[in-house]
This record gives sequence, C-alpha cells and structure tokens, in this order.
Amino acid sequence: MLKFIIKKLLQMIPMLLVISLLVFIGLELTGIDPLSYMVSPDMAGSAENLERLREQMGLNDPLFTRYFRWVSEMLRGDFGYSIVSGTPISQIIAVRIPATIELALLALVFSTIIGVGIGIVSAIKQNGIIDYVGRVFAVVGQSIPQFFFGIILIQIFAVSMGWFPVGQRISPGGNWSRIQHLVLPVTTLTLSMCAVLMRYARNTMLDVMNSDYIKTARSKGIPEWKVIIKHGFRNAMRPVLVIICFRLPMLIGGSVVIESVFSWPGIGTIIASSVIAGDMPVIMVTTLMVAASILVASFLVDVFTALLDPRVRLGD
Amino acid sequence: MTTISKAAKGKSSSLLRKNIKKFVNNKLAMVGLIFMIIILFSAIFAPLLTQYEPAKIDLKAKSVAPNSEHLFGTDKLGRDLFSRILYGGRVSILVGVVGAFSGSLIGVVLGSIAGYFGKWTDMLLIRLSEVFQTFPQMILILIMVTILGPGLSNLLIIFSITGWMTTFRMVRNEFMALRGETYVKVAEAFGMSKSSVMFKQILPNVFSPVIVATTVNIAGFILSEAGLSFLGLGVPSSTPTWGNILNAAKSIEVISNYWWMWVIPGVVISIFVLAVNFFGDGLRDVLDPKQQ
Repeated sequence: MLKFIIKKLLQMIPMLLVISLLVFIGLELTGIDPLSYMVSPDMAGSAENLERLREQMGLNDPLFTRYFRWVSEMLRGDFGYSIVSGTPISQIIAVRIPATIELALLALVFSTIIGVGIGIVSAIKQNGIIDYVGRVFAVVGQSIPQFFFGIILIQIFAVSMGWFPVGQRISPGGNWSRIQHLVLPVTTLTLSMCAVLMRYARNTMLDVMNSDYIKTARSKGIPEWKVIIKHGFRNAMRPVLVIICFRLPMLIGGSVVIESVFSWPGIGTIIASSVIAGDMPVIMVTTLMVAASILVASFLVDVFTALLDPRVRLGD
Repeated sequence: MTTISKAAKGKSSSLLRKNIKKFVNNKLAMVGLIFMIIILFSAIFAPLLTQYEPAKIDLKAKSVAPNSEHLFGTDKLGRDLFSRILYGGRVSILVGVVGAFSGSLIGVVLGSIAGYFGKWTDMLLIRLSEVFQTFPQMILILIMVTILGPGLSNLLIIFSITGWMTTFRMVRNEFMALRGETYVKVAEAFGMSKSSVMFKQILPNVFSPVIVATTVNIAGFILSEAGLSFLGLGVPSSTPTWGNILNAAKSIEVISNYWWMWVIPGVVISIFVLAVNFFGDGLRDVLDPKQQ
C-alpha cells in the first residue's frame, strides 16, 4: 500500500511541473511586464529604479531560468502581486480559498448523499416512481443553466420571500447569518451535481445488481437487504467514487459562475473579475492552485479506491 | 454494434430502418427532436418571424413588458427581446454545434493516432489530455479568453480546444481494443496504408459513441456559452446570444422588477438544451445500447 501511495505521489510531480510551465508560458504570452506584478507597487518608484530592479531580479535571463526561479519563489510562498490592486496574491488566496472550499465541500457532501441515495433506490426499484421521477429530474437538472437556476432561487427566496440574504458570505449577525448566506448557493451547486451523480449511481448499481455474484448470493438465501448492502452497494461504490472525483473540476469550474451570481467572495469570483480586468498574475496563480487541488483530490481518490479494492493497487 | 463493415452493408438498410423505428418509438426523443427543429428553424428564419432588428436601440420603448407589439417585451435599451432571442439562437446554436463537432474531430484524430500507434505516442497524448483535464473546463475556457480575447471566432476556437478529451479517450480505448482483431491484421497484411486501416477499417466501429458524445457536447457548449456571456466574457452584446441576453440578470434590480428580461431567455435555453439531451438519450439507446 505504501508503495502504491509513493508511486502515485511521484506521478503528481511531473504533472504539476508541466502545468506550471504551461501557466508560466501563458503569462509570458500576454506580454505584461513581469515587474508590474513581482514588485510591491510602493517599491517600484522611478524608471531607472525599475531598470536596476529588472537587472537585479534577473528578468533579462532566459525563459527557463526565470521559470525555475518563479517555481521556487512559489514554493517559498511568494506568489507575486496583483497588477490591478497591488495586493500580494498570497493574501488574496488566503482570504478566498476557505470561502470556495466551504461552498464546494458542502455541495459535494449533500449531492453525494442525495444523488447516490436516490440513484441506488431507483436502481433497486427499477421503473418505480422514484426511478421515473429521478430520471426526469436528472435530465432537467443537466439542462437548466446553473446560474439561471441560481437566479430563480434568488428571485423566489431572497427577493419575494426575503428569507435569505444575497451576496457576500457574512453579514452582521454571527454564525446564524453565515448559514443563511450558504443556503442558496449550496442548493444551486448541489442540484446540478446531483443530476449527474444520480444517473451514474443508478446505472452502476443496476449493472452490479444484474451480475452473477449477486444472483449467487441471492440463491444462497442471503436476505435481500444484506445482498444489496454487502454485495451490491460495496461494489457499486468504487466507480461512483471515481465519478465524484471527476466531478470535482466541474464543481470548482461551476463555482466560477455560481459565485458570481451570489457575489460569493471565493476563488471563482476572483478568477472571473481578474479575467475581466486582465489581471494575469492573479488568474495564473489561482488557476494553478485550482489545478493543484484537483490533482491532490484525485490522488486521494486513488488511495481511497485502492483501499476499497485490492485489485487497483495490485494491478499496475 | 452497428458495424458498417462490407459484409453488413447489404443488411444496413434494414438495420437503419429498424433503428429509425426504434428511435421514433421513443417518445421523449421524438419530442426532443421536434422542439430542436422548431427552435432551430425559428432562429434560421428569424427575419420572417419578426420585423424588429435585434440590435436596434429604441429609447422610447425601454423595459416594456411583453405585449402584442413586443411579444417578449424589450430590454433596458429598448431592444425587442423576441427578435434578440431568435437571432441569438443562431449564434448560440452555431457555437454549440461547431464547438462540439470540431472538438470531436480533434478527439477522433488524436484518439485514433494514440490508440493505433500505442507506445510513447499514446503515452504523450494521454498525458496531454490529463493536463487539459486537470483544469475545470470553465476555468480552461476563461484562461483562453484572457489570452485570445473574447468574441465569436475566438469562442469557437476555445471550445474546440477545450472539448476534445472525452472523445479522445473513448476513441483511443476502442482502438486499443480493436487493434489486435483479425480483420485489422488481415488489412495490414494486404499492405493497406496505416491511415486507411485507421480511418476506413477501425474508425467506423467507433462512430456511434462519438455521435452520442458530440450531441451531449452540443448541449454542454450551449450552456458554457451562456455562462461565459452571463459573466460578460463571451460574445459582445451587439451580437445577441442566449447567454448575453441573460447578462441583464446580473443586476438584482432586473431580477426583481423585469422578469421577462431573464425568465424568457433562460427558459428558451433550458428547453433547447433539454431537447438536445432527450434527443441524445434517444440516439444512445439506438446506437449504443451498451452504455445507457
């Protein structure tokens, strides 16, 4: 098992290097003067000062030298400065990441419970009412633009009913207001995640329940609930876990638009507003963070599936 | 499998008839097809259905609620929304269809190459697709928008570059499985060129799932365009699209007071995407019964 984990960890390193190189080249392609985001604005000063800084910081060095310097600075926690506001990027990220994680994690938990739950029930009672409603709901949920759904929720529950606040994460009123702020964005993200998950869990469970070892287990006289949970559910979980991991990018990508709808102060809104403002350094560092966190998440899923299914870690 | 190999060609017309019959019997798929056609044709024949110019600003008719003159009302600049939604459909559907098809094309070509040649070619392309997949699609699209800039033609390029990975995987896996089949070996032994073996012998077997995936991608890209234009990063609003009409709903004032400016375009997008998805499901049942 340890060997498997180490192998997977080592595989991540070249991946991260390639991604960061691409991001760095992308930054170069836009032709923005690196000094504008590497130096705190108060330090910049006069033109000759800038020229001296450029020489001192080695900005006239070849691309690869600069790339490796950039990576090592990032590893030391120095991410540079926003060219729009002049704030250190590390500071922006430190404020924004918890907000996005809060949103994404809650949506992930709720959608997994609801989606997998309904999916499995509809597989067990195939062609029943829950199955039918669930299937229609899944297609409809995939077809409505997420942000449109969010706006509908705002109109009904915030504007008309006045039950929930819109915009930002906290308003005066302590922890209760925090939860109130979370309800609508989490519901929006959860529903769109649910649609895909439900469908997938149902189909996987159907496949498993039609397999030979389930028939064998039944013919041995094992009670049906035991067959479903011990033989069916356990084996259906692995592919479902994998799809949850694959959905993670979608969850974070989807949060770009959803966060904008609800003016949620997370990574998504900062990416969207940086793209509008052309704040390249912020875009690059934040997307790199997103990519890195997805790599870590998929690593965790690999480890988790290996724990559930020995074939994975013995396979290759 | 709906193989179109030479031996099956004689039977293909009856197979086709059987498949069409199966599709027609699928009510949801037929309803989807009908809605798709209705919306598509009203977009194409927009000039026959409305006399308003989609970009014409009429400050005397600002924010008018739906009435007999303006069926869907007007926006804050007095532009007729019915006309904007019809003309907007042209662009949105075009973006979805062209984006999905060119994405599939890239996926098919790279997937065939990876699956047929295997070894380091395969490894390189797999790694490339993994790099692309580490970024959420929306964020990948946003990065490209920053580099290339917004606008219709850039959007088409961006969608094709960001939408090839699923097709690539599918085609590559299928090629891997079929490469060792006897009929491929025979074709190679007869001295058939690599490209004919790849594209004439193996590829037809993969077509059905590719068509289904492309349909799903059309729906996905229409939603992406909507999201992007909602953020104000898609097509500029002088050319209406379903997404940038909805951009109005960024203000809470519009959400609370002018329902027609966002409910109607939102419902139209949802209906069209729903129709495409139902149609795609029907196609999947007919073409690709293995993975429902």
